[in-house]
Amino acid sequence: MMTDPLQRLGATTLAVAERLGRGHLFLLHVLGGFPALLPRFGLVIKQLYASGVLSLLIIAVSGLFVGMVLALQGYNTLVDFGATESLGVVVSLSLVRELGPVVAALLFAGRAGSALTAEIGLMKATEQLSAMEMMAVDPLHRVAAPRLLGGILAMPLLAAIFSAVGVLGGYFVGVGLLGVDEGAFWSQMQANVDLYDDVANGVIKSVVFGFVVTWIAVFEGYDSVPTSEGVSRATTKTVVQGSLAVLGLDFVLTALMFGDE
Amino acid sequence: MTDDSQKPLVSIRDLVFKRGSRTIFDGVDIDIQRGKLTAIMGPSGTGKTTLLRLIGGQLRPDAGTVVVDGQSVPDLGYRGLYQLRKRMGMLFQNGALLTDINVYDNVAFPLREHTKLPESMIRDLVLMKLEAVGLRGARDLMPSELSGGMSRRVALARAIALDPMMIMYDEPFTGQDPISMGVLVSLLRTLTDVLGLTSVMVSHDVAESLSIADYVYVISEGKVVEHGTPDHLNESSSPWVQQFLQGQRDGPVPFHYPAPDYIDDLMAGAGR
Repeated sequence: MMTDPLQRLGATTLAVAERLGRGHLFLLHVLGGFPALLPRFGLVIKQLYASGVLSLLIIAVSGLFVGMVLALQGYNTLVDFGATESLGVVVSLSLVRELGPVVAALLFAGRAGSALTAEIGLMKATEQLSAMEMMAVDPLHRVAAPRLLGGILAMPLLAAIFSAVGVLGGYFVGVGLLGVDEGAFWSQMQANVDLYDDVANGVIKSVVFGFVVTWIAVFEGYDSVPTSEGVSRATTKTVVQGSLAVLGLDFVLTALMFGDE
Repeated sequence: MTDDSQKPLVSIRDLVFKRGSRTIFDGVDIDIQRGKLTAIMGPSGTGKTTLLRLIGGQLRPDAGTVVVDGQSVPDLGYRGLYQLRKRMGMLFQNGALLTDINVYDNVAFPLREHTKLPESMIRDLVLMKLEAVGLRGARDLMPSELSGGMSRRVALARAIALDPMMIMYDEPFTGQDPISMGVLVSLLRTLTDVLGLTSVMVSHDVAESLSIADYVYVISEGKVVEHGTPDHLNESSSPWVQQFLQGQRDGPVPFHYPAPDYIDDLMAGAGR
């Protein structure tokens, strides 16, 4: 009786370790397909469209609102100190360093990640992956690799668009609505946002997030139980695990990048 | 080389395959002759599809050998296996067409993946393969617009796109109406004869299989119960084979799943 919970703990741990192992072997195999993608970059472009371009609307609208809210909240705090000219800095730094990469990645996991998992899961359920194998076409190279690379390339672009639209939203609210001085808004932003420390670090973050979210999405689809229930569970897992991975990694990356300042 | 053409293309010896604790195959010997249509029959759930996957190297046997054209499939590495698969076609039960591209692109898929042929030549090849299955006019349709029989014929055109030495059919007749069934039956025979293909067909449609096969294996409970030409099989003295071929409801394979005595079972509920 006493061994029961212990046994279950052991079994769960083993299952998790095994899955992690499988996920990494999967990744190695997929990465092996990257060189072959260069001469056939059209495959990647197609995925860039599917997970990038088709996510544009939700990314842009969310960015706009996040920027507008940031400006409202920032103004309320700054006005007590008479420092409302710094509103541009507050909005842009929050977006470029944190909210752009993180919120865009969370939206990406929900919009593009779930679609990838469902697509690959259904391809598995309808034996399309199996048929490719029998046609001597490696599905990890032909299906998974272009999707992974597409996700890695799409994510920083989406995060950049998110931040840019967010800054515009902040400008509309801050300058248009709340009457912050326009010149101060832009010049303070220019003076205080560093290309290296802020923008580049934000881009690195979003590349990492894009990689991890797409990896999880593609693996969950490939590893799903090929039934309607299995695919739906895999899709849920992609969104949950993808989002948690983004938030956890964000902490680690932030600590590494900005921890010693 | 002359000797080689007499040898079977696929030769399976003492094959053992287990799934979990369940034994699917327990010492199976099968030879598939070149240029012939071999049917592998048996009740549902005897692992006939598994057998095709073992030949194609998607699964590995627990014991025994699977040799295709002189190469031992379970011992092949990644590259060797993919080279071998280029010379095999497989027709899946539901066709397994790629659903996001149309019929033309589906048939062109293996050509584009494995050859560097110019698009004009790919077009000629695709149209020839589609003509062979009678669907040249359907090339612009999407897989979702095809009937079950048409999907299978498109998949067949795709499977022969690279002119393989062998093609494996997984339940080609299941769920077909009489007309498409007839079309598929004659297509399988014609392709085998005209292209000189070696065909392996897994099926439980007795009449259709016996009418076109050159050689038949009957599998049940992990073993080959009978094999021979269709005529030989019809004269088989095994009551099991006769029950299977005639589709009798009772016989060596009982109608009733093992259960306690009927009267006892009914009476057991009376006291409640």
